[in-house]
Amino acid sequence: MHKRGLAFYARIYRKILIQDLKSKMSYRADFIISTFGMIMTNLSGFITFMILFHNFPTINGWDYYHMLFLYGFSLVALTPVQCFFDNNWNLRFMVQSGDFIKYCFRPVNVFFYFISEVFDVKGLGQLAFGIGTIVYAWIKIGIPVTVIIIAKLLVFLLTASLFMIALMNFAAATCFWIKGSGYVMVIMFRFKDFAKYPSSIFEGIFKIIFTFIIPIAFIAYYPSLVILEPSNVPLLSWISPLYGILFVYLSYRFWMLGVRKYDFTGS
Amino acid sequence: MSEYSGNEAVIMKNVCKDFKVLNRHEGLKGSIKDLFSRDYKTVSAVRDVTLTVNRGEIIGYLGPNGAGKSTTIKMMTGVLEPTSGELLVNGKVPYKNRTENCENIGVVFGQRSQLWWSLPLIESFKLLRDLYMVPEKDYEGMIELYRSLVDIEPILHKPVREMSLGQRTLSDILAAFLHNPAIVFLDEPTIGLDVSMKAKIRELILGLNKEKNTTVILTTHDMGDVDALCRRIVIIDKGTKIYDNDIEHLKNYFGSYRTLKLKRSDDTWEEYLIDEKTTDVMDVIMEKQKSMKIKDVKIDEISTEEVIKKIYEGSAK
Repeated sequence: MHKRGLAFYARIYRKILIQDLKSKMSYRADFIISTFGMIMTNLSGFITFMILFHNFPTINGWDYYHMLFLYGFSLVALTPVQCFFDNNWNLRFMVQSGDFIKYCFRPVNVFFYFISEVFDVKGLGQLAFGIGTIVYAWIKIGIPVTVIIIAKLLVFLLTASLFMIALMNFAAATCFWIKGSGYVMVIMFRFKDFAKYPSSIFEGIFKIIFTFIIPIAFIAYYPSLVILEPSNVPLLSWISPLYGILFVYLSYRFWMLGVRKYDFTGS
Repeated sequence: MSEYSGNEAVIMKNVCKDFKVLNRHEGLKGSIKDLFSRDYKTVSAVRDVTLTVNRGEIIGYLGPNGAGKSTTIKMMTGVLEPTSGELLVNGKVPYKNRTENCENIGVVFGQRSQLWWSLPLIESFKLLRDLYMVPEKDYEGMIELYRSLVDIEPILHKPVREMSLGQRTLSDILAAFLHNPAIVFLDEPTIGLDVSMKAKIRELILGLNKEKNTTVILTTHDMGDVDALCRRIVIIDKGTKIYDNDIEHLKNYFGSYRTLKLKRSDDTWEEYLIDEKTTDVMDVIMEKQKSMKIKDVKIDEISTEEVIKKIYEGSAK
């Protein structure tokens, strides 16, 4: 039997990605329309944000540019889940129609094979918007530009995206057990909107829920504190990378458990 | 399981597969009850099936809808775990070694393409070559073999989504054989295809089986497939194996049946299935002649289709 390690999966993923991009570009009208749609979506989200926050000078001590930073941070953090894990949205249709079984016939990890099938280019526009917003807010707040701070930013952006990936994996995998899993996914995806606000606006029970149970506070709030308030970083921010890795691992195990438990009826 | 000698592609010994199904209640009250119910009933999809398939064989695995065919295939491919019994595919337990098992099998589900939808076939082939880690030389050899068996040029550079159903099926079959697996499972490979495409696909399967000594396990409702490809037939119904023998034996399964065809005066044919042990064919012709004008008479051997139909009906009683 062949051994398939990380290098193998990276190589395969790259090849699938290149092929996928090639074929996407060959459908030119489709490509142009979806690019345009993506720009409009981001623009309208951005404008809504501007209108909303220009009228409220501060929220719980957060001024406009801090909010903007958080907003950009969450946009960038959402990019990986959007680009690489978008096929999770199709999972429930595949499972219900029985088409999912085809992913079990290849000598590779089922999760990898399923997820590798779709790369969503739309996420890239979001990435560009997010980076632009972060840079703008960064300059306005006057955060010094040092290698350490930028490294921190990258680590915590990655951390934040781990949480979003894990959440969507959990939500998608519920379809192995329940029929109405579409709602679970939509609710989870809506939760990400809260990520754009400082978690300090949540009080009491909500704070506990959004920190530990559905950890959306980790998608932007806790990680971005490392950059925004370096003098006053809570312990939760520092442990968030580890917590993120654990959370993704758990979501992966949950997803794979679903595959094992699912009885593949309906052929 | 010491009896694996290396020559068996599949060994099944008293394999059973049960599913737990929730007992559903009626009405709104029933639905609420179901939410908390632990009231399951067990449905046996496969019961006590024992079967050995040797290397290089093409077997027809037949049965009416819901007989347990798919469940058996899913167990052999390592997707489902048998509830009890022993199952070896290429000498290994498929469910415990899913990835390893997948390296040595190919699967085609008619009408469900497993290829990358938007990619030209040749790109799908290359990805599969990498996924299965097929050495370049073997890959080239396989493509050469394909060229000699079927005209692949028109489809090689076409994206799967632009193909006709026939081309897609052809592509899926080629893709399933690409890594030279020991066993290929074909589920309804010719469903929905026209006559000439069916013939082409049957020829291809036979050719690949002959060249590579690939074991083929074919499930189908098309007796044309069975007649063209299979020497051995296994029939299951309600999860139980009810027939396992050569296709020649099948014809004598119910005694010596003949199909009597009578041509009416308006050039249409009338058909009668006659058991020669109990009825004399001549008697039937004489009897019919009293009530109608017969222009022509034909006596055929019973077709596979009719025998299978009789077996399904017989087990339904």
